[in-house]
Amino acid sequence: MIPNGCRMASFRGLGRLMALSIVASVVALVAHSGRAADTQRGAQLAAICASCHRLDGHDKGIPSIVRLDKNELVAIMAAFKSGERSSQIMHAVALTLSDNDIATLADYLATLPKETKPR
Amino acid sequence: MTWTRRKFGALAGAAGIAAIGVREAKSTTNARVVVVGGGIGGATVAKYLAASGASLEVTLVEPNQRYTTCFFSNYYLAGLRSLESLTHNYETLAQRYGIKIVHEPATAIDPVAKTVTLTSGAKLEYDRAVIAPGIAFKFGTIEGYDQVATQIMPHAWNGGPQTKLLRAQLESMEDGGLFVISAPPDPFRCPPGPYERACLVAYYFKQFKPRAKILILDAKDTFFEQDLFQDAWNRHYPGMIEWLPGQFTGGVKSVDLKNRTIRTKDETFSAGVANIIPPQIAGEFAQKSGLADQSGWCPVDPVTFESKLQPGIHVVGDAISGGDMPKSAFATNSQAKVCAFAIAAVLTGSAQAEPHLFNTCFTILSPDDAVSDAISFEAGAGAIKMKDIFISRVGESDDLRRQVAHAANGWYTAFTHDVFG
Repeated sequence: MIPNGCRMASFRGLGRLMALSIVASVVALVAHSGRAADTQRGAQLAAICASCHRLDGHDKGIPSIVRLDKNELVAIMAAFKSGERSSQIMHAVALTLSDNDIATLADYLATLPKETKPR
Repeated sequence: MTWTRRKFGALAGAAGIAAIGVREAKSTTNARVVVVGGGIGGATVAKYLAASGASLEVTLVEPNQRYTTCFFSNYYLAGLRSLESLTHNYETLAQRYGIKIVHEPATAIDPVAKTVTLTSGAKLEYDRAVIAPGIAFKFGTIEGYDQVATQIMPHAWNGGPQTKLLRAQLESMEDGGLFVISAPPDPFRCPPGPYERACLVAYYFKQFKPRAKILILDAKDTFFEQDLFQDAWNRHYPGMIEWLPGQFTGGVKSVDLKNRTIRTKDETFSAGVANIIPPQIAGEFAQKSGLADQSGWCPVDPVTFESKLQPGIHVVGDAISGGDMPKSAFATNSQAKVCAFAIAAVLTGSAQAEPHLFNTCFTILSPDDAVSDAISFEAGAGAIKMKDIFISRVGESDDLRRQVAHAANGWYTAFTHDVFG
């Protein structure tokens, strides 16, 4: 026979577990919707790049920017923004993007697949 | 074809297109967007709506099967590119992005019933419509220059048959002849265009008709990147190009098609080939749909590109009153993306993205000498205002100019891929 107190304790434990799992679910949901929002923002920011850079990884006169290491892209954009790296167009573009925008963009571009077949 | 999450996911994986958050449209059926005009603005809006992840039915109404860009057509006039290389189709938009393409002219739009009527009488229902009609010409402002006259003295300010006609005329012009360009008053499509045309036609003349001359009769007293052009004319084509500002001539007043002459207030010029680029207004469909105001252009909200005159209808591209934004393919593409994101947000009830408006133009002075500009804009207080502007400078190294010319060609490939590919 299970002492009443123990049953109560296990109910309390179950309650805590449920509460924790609800918290965890909410955290997961928030994280998921945060990721979705980042992906959406990343895609919209990448649309700016797509006016000059092909996002399928093909490179014909304008460098490919997909699948770059995130930190590398962030550093490149910082160098364009400061003028340390020279390009009139990239300087102008970099000035329109916040550091947060650039980080979101770099995350997004790093996930895009690179096509191998020419198109 | 109806857009689904599954198709979108597959496409996003395959093409690396914008994987924007997937939400259902408010209604049980997918929200419908009808885009009228398959130029740069219309094609970009349609593609970015279809790729937005929102469950939308996107229809693009465009009578022609293929689209020839006006930008880079000066390369063709110089004999440096084929017209085929400037021509694009809608197959990828249909097959890869699931956009329904209707190759039929639209005749009317009803903002109350929310329908677009086609020539056949069929009506397309929409929740939001986008009109991207480009420009129309104000015939009648230059006496004797009407639609018929464009077959004798081409404007070549739309890509395609007009460009081809002008090239044919330049090829058959005798050495020693005069090529006259009539440059329009502001605002007009492609501000550096007439002057770039002078450069690249001069490049062609230099090789094949070295005694030929070019005269630009301008309606204006100044023009965009004037110092860069005048420097290039002196360096590359000395003695070949003359530019007369509006204050000297009053601009072109009339043309005589039979004698191929062009008259200003005080003078008459006999042209071997005449390229009359007339004053411009928003495209015809915008005019007859009540989207243009007295200026001839379409006033829009600069954050959503929704018409200020007809709710539920958006207008992008050369047809709008763009504030500080020039009428260029790049600017149009930038506006079209902002418009697509705004429409997707409205139809799915998601948050409106902050608009990012930008322009870059590559201008070719000679095949190995090109310049560029880069301008950012902000959409505030009901109008588009310039924020930062960077333009190439006179005296830059040959090496830099060669790099820009190389980048220009790379840009064309990537840009047209962004729009049609």
